[in-house]
Amino acid sequence: MKSSKVIHSTTFTTKYVSYLVPALTNIGSLLASYDVDEETKKMVRYEVDMALALSAKGFAWSRALKHKLRLNYNDDDRVGDGHGEPVTKKPKTEHEEEERMMCLRKLIPGGKEMMADDEMLLSELGSYVSCLELQVNILRSMLQNN
Amino acid sequence: MDVTVLDRQQATYPLELFASSVPLFQSYLGSGPIVELKRPEAYLGGDGFHEFVYFPVGGGPEFGDSEKLNLVPPDAAPGYCISRTSSCQMTAFHAASMKEEREDMILEKMESTTGSGSRESFTKRKAEVVADHKSKDKRIKGEVEGESEVKTKCSTQVSRNSSKENSKACEVQKPDYIHVRARRGQATDSHSLAERARREKISKKMKCLQDLVPGCNKVTGKAGMLDEIINYVQSLQRQVGFLSMKIAALNSSVEFNVENLPIKEFPAYVANFPAAAKLPAMPNLTCFQLNPMQKEAVNCMLNETIHPPLTATEGIASASVSIPEQALSSSTITLQPFSTWNMDPQGLYNVYDMGFH
Repeated sequence: MKSSKVIHSTTFTTKYVSYLVPALTNIGSLLASYDVDEETKKMVRYEVDMALALSAKGFAWSRALKHKLRLNYNDDDRVGDGHGEPVTKKPKTEHEEEERMMCLRKLIPGGKEMMADDEMLLSELGSYVSCLELQVNILRSMLQNN
Repeated sequence: MDVTVLDRQQATYPLELFASSVPLFQSYLGSGPIVELKRPEAYLGGDGFHEFVYFPVGGGPEFGDSEKLNLVPPDAAPGYCISRTSSCQMTAFHAASMKEEREDMILEKMESTTGSGSRESFTKRKAEVVADHKSKDKRIKGEVEGESEVKTKCSTQVSRNSSKENSKACEVQKPDYIHVRARRGQATDSHSLAERARREKISKKMKCLQDLVPGCNKVTGKAGMLDEIINYVQSLQRQVGFLSMKIAALNSSVEFNVENLPIKEFPAYVANFPAAAKLPAMPNLTCFQLNPMQKEAVNCMLNETIHPPLTATEGIASASVSIPEQALSSSTITLQPFSTWNMDPQGLYNVYDMGFH
């Protein structure tokens, strides 16, 4: 299955924003109190991640992310940051690239399913990094202009 | 992992034999004609090595148990680990299959020598040849299948050691979709070739990643680059987490000012490239009536983005990156004419309007 593998920033941004902003508005209206609690953070983080997954369809990592988000959300269990990545994965000994590849696999959603395929991992990384960048830019601009 | 015919065929070559033939391979691989493949035969004599190309276990009916033992060098590189298992199963009918294997090998060598230019034709030819082989000699299949798993397990090791087998010295573009069962009794060359092709693909993708991740240029070596990539991804993920927390904090008290959202600011760059590096000059979109303050904010945002923004769309167009096929396709710059924005962002604007006042 080879969907269009080009990430158009405009398309991505449009989709992302069009999903996220209404979702955030919903959250804002749902929460009665103005306190920022864990629940709010979780919900916001969920929407942030889901927006990413939905805006970049056609990649293994976006599918995996969507899947993971839905699972975690149903379980109502907080998985760090939705990506489920162990945020501090620093122990990269001088061992060869295998370790680093493992590290990358843990970082990217769905990476563990790419155990056998290094090429695929690298390809997915390319799109994932691009989308992450876009996401960060969008979020930043949303915040800055308020 | 799929293996090519030659992978299997190379599975049981004695290391010594291969080592001795390495220079020979190097010499003649660069040349074209198949005829040259036969040269090493004379070199090595007919001592069961007459089918040099295939590193036959012992050549035809002379196979015996002792030969089998010779096949497996005790200190075989992992690339030959398969030979350990498969060679034990060498039987007489390998001789029969040798001839067919030779054709495969020749095809493979032709492929190597002529380079990727004619890869397609070789692909087809090889497929045909293999198809023929398969139909001709199904007996071997059973054994061969048993080896495929072994091959898979060894493949990771092989890939690391394939550099030692650089005797190929040719840029072989392995066809992606020719998955065939390899026959035993062939030179390990093709196995190494496959690994080598795989490694080339991987390094190609690494190069693309290098373009995406800032700071990779200064680092040399795969491990260093992977480190950089890991750091970058972690940092991006942390940023996302942090920003989303900030959004959560603001959420209750803020209406997201969506009028000057990035849609307009990143109009025509493809995320293949460093995301913000190709920001074009701020377009003056009358349809959105950006007030000067908003424009200022946007500009600040642009400047703070991850990469230094470029200001020329032409820069985007000329910066073509070879992207790994799976992730991104190359040369896809889509310049959105302003006219289209009237539709899209306007629609978005309406959406926001529902939520905000």
